[in-house]
Amino acid sequence: MQDQDLIVATLESCARRRDERREFLRTAALASASVTFLAGCDGGGADPVPPVVVVPPPPPPPSGVTDADILNFALNLEYLEAQFYFYAAFGTPLPANITTGTGTQGTVTGGRQVTFTDPLVAQYAREIAMDERAHVEFLRAQLGAAAVAQPPIDVGTAPTGAFSSAARAAGLIGAGASFDVYANDENFLLGAFIFEDVGVTAYKGAAPLITSKTFLEAAAGILAAEAYHAGLIRTVLYAKGLPAPSLRTATDAISNARDSLDGPSDLDQGVSSNGNTSNIVPTDGNAIAFSRTTGQVLNIAYLTRTATDRGGFFPAGVNGNIRLSAAS
Amino acid sequence: MTDQATMIETLDARVDRRSERRDFFKTMIGAAAAIPVLTLTLGGTPLHAQAAPSDADILNFALNLEYLEAQFYFYAVFGQGLPNDLLTGTGTQGAVSPGRAVAFSDPLVAQYAREIAMDEVEHVRFLRTALGSARVAQPAIDVSAAPNGAFSNAARAAGLVGPNQPFDPYASDENFLLGAFIFEDVGVTAYKGASPLITNKTFLEAAAGILAVEAYHAAIVRTTLFRKGIQTPALIDATEAISNARDSLDGATDLDQGIRPIGTSSNIVPLDANGLAFSRSAGQVLNIVYLNRMAVTAGGFFPAGVNGPIRTSAAN
Repeated sequence: MQDQDLIVATLESCARRRDERREFLRTAALASASVTFLAGCDGGGADPVPPVVVVPPPPPPPSGVTDADILNFALNLEYLEAQFYFYAAFGTPLPANITTGTGTQGTVTGGRQVTFTDPLVAQYAREIAMDERAHVEFLRAQLGAAAVAQPPIDVGTAPTGAFSSAARAAGLIGAGASFDVYANDENFLLGAFIFEDVGVTAYKGAAPLITSKTFLEAAAGILAAEAYHAGLIRTVLYAKGLPAPSLRTATDAISNARDSLDGPSDLDQGVSSNGNTSNIVPTDGNAIAFSRTTGQVLNIAYLTRTATDRGGFFPAGVNGNIRLSAAS
Repeated sequence: MTDQATMIETLDARVDRRSERRDFFKTMIGAAAAIPVLTLTLGGTPLHAQAAPSDADILNFALNLEYLEAQFYFYAVFGQGLPNDLLTGTGTQGAVSPGRAVAFSDPLVAQYAREIAMDEVEHVRFLRTALGSARVAQPAIDVSAAPNGAFSNAARAAGLVGPNQPFDPYASDENFLLGAFIFEDVGVTAYKGASPLITNKTFLEAAAGILAVEAYHAAIVRTTLFRKGIQTPALIDATEAISNARDSLDGATDLDQGIRPIGTSSNIVPLDANGLAFSRSAGQVLNIVYLNRMAVTAGGFFPAGVNGPIRTSAAN
């Protein structure tokens, strides 16, 4: 392809992202307003100076939300991620002594060790498992006696379980079928995909709510780690999706399922390519990662679009003061 | 290997990371005795005011870095630089010592390069719009493959090329990925280090969003180098060498890791023992892009320095 054609094709894929952004803004205009800056996507010199446009502010945080509330909210999510990766990598749950705390401690509906075919995927699983455990331990250390216990968590493979329900919502399996995220490399990667981008949007959405600069910088460090993990998982799925295109379309389906849970705005993208460009990084038209409120994150973790306090991966809800999903 | 053995090896690997953290604290304590509070000129006038930069100062600092990344990826993908209307602003606008289009052999790498190029252009555009008339112009940038250019000097510091030999990041998929590796993790540490300095919550959240994107990019590059490194172990060695070269520039603390596996685990994600990404101060970031461990205002990828008030590298 000629360079000029390449640029045109790439800019066209960029324009598609912009369309997504416009869609985002259209749906967002329903909400009350704050001012932020947006920029156009094409590089043409004839473009007028991009206007300052109106986008929705993050919904107001729950009144009286403290840094400890936010860190405990994050700790629930890290328990979930760590348990999934620990089972997949080692066949065991997290050590019991790092799941204690305030609130009701719950059991894990467990998974099992994946018999990995690709030794690289096995190495990735072990790396991420240990990172997530480190996040659990770090947050618990920061919170001290205020740390919440691990609530009941479902990372099992039952047909009525959270992973199967999520996969069914995405159309990957039929009624009554089970989605076994521990069955093979590909299913493991898709199971990881269900979580990883959500963690990024959760930490980004929480960033402006954190008052302590020390916690903010630490949260930025966890945000970065989650984005690295997500980038890793998405890159591997994209590469394996070259000979097996259903892997790429599965990510699109999971992304759409997440989007159907967390409200009308499009906050999610699969890995399928835009023309001659990959889509490893899910971003808006400004190449900025998306944000989710805590309520939107719980919509996905609870697998519900309504305001409730439990469901999906957290059958008895999360522990702590931030526990309600949004009415989406 | 049994599960138990696997886990023990993995835990050992984690201890290695924790040891790095302990080294970190040790060197921090050593350095604390001699923290340079303010850099003064000979006349006693503050040379720079990095102690309390404004949000605009921070965004402009980031804009310089995004100019650099965008130019590199734009040349690699399109064989040309950014449109000039994206380069204007306050300060002295500089020319680019150019790169060239990579003849990619792996179509996946070509697709990744295009995706990252467009993301970086959007970051340039976003920051310029957010800054409005306060935005800095693109300073002089060197993304060339000349033997005395920044890429070659960086690669030489890492021991990848000999005296007077060029390192051409446009010569092959592998060289392109190593060129990208030189930048990507640095962007993550720069945005993380800046995050507690940003006062405006809207800018803070936007910066967190750019940080995330840079981490995704870094993961693409590291994951791809690791996969290719199974057949070509020299690629993995090269990332370790580049990482060590960066660490030799930005002070005594170890803020950087290559992609060599730790025990039975990969090391795609450079983290401390708490699972947190590293931070770099603006001065430390400039040590790397200026390719200089001293306090200077120009060099390396920015032959005339960056534009804006944050422009002096740290004295290490």
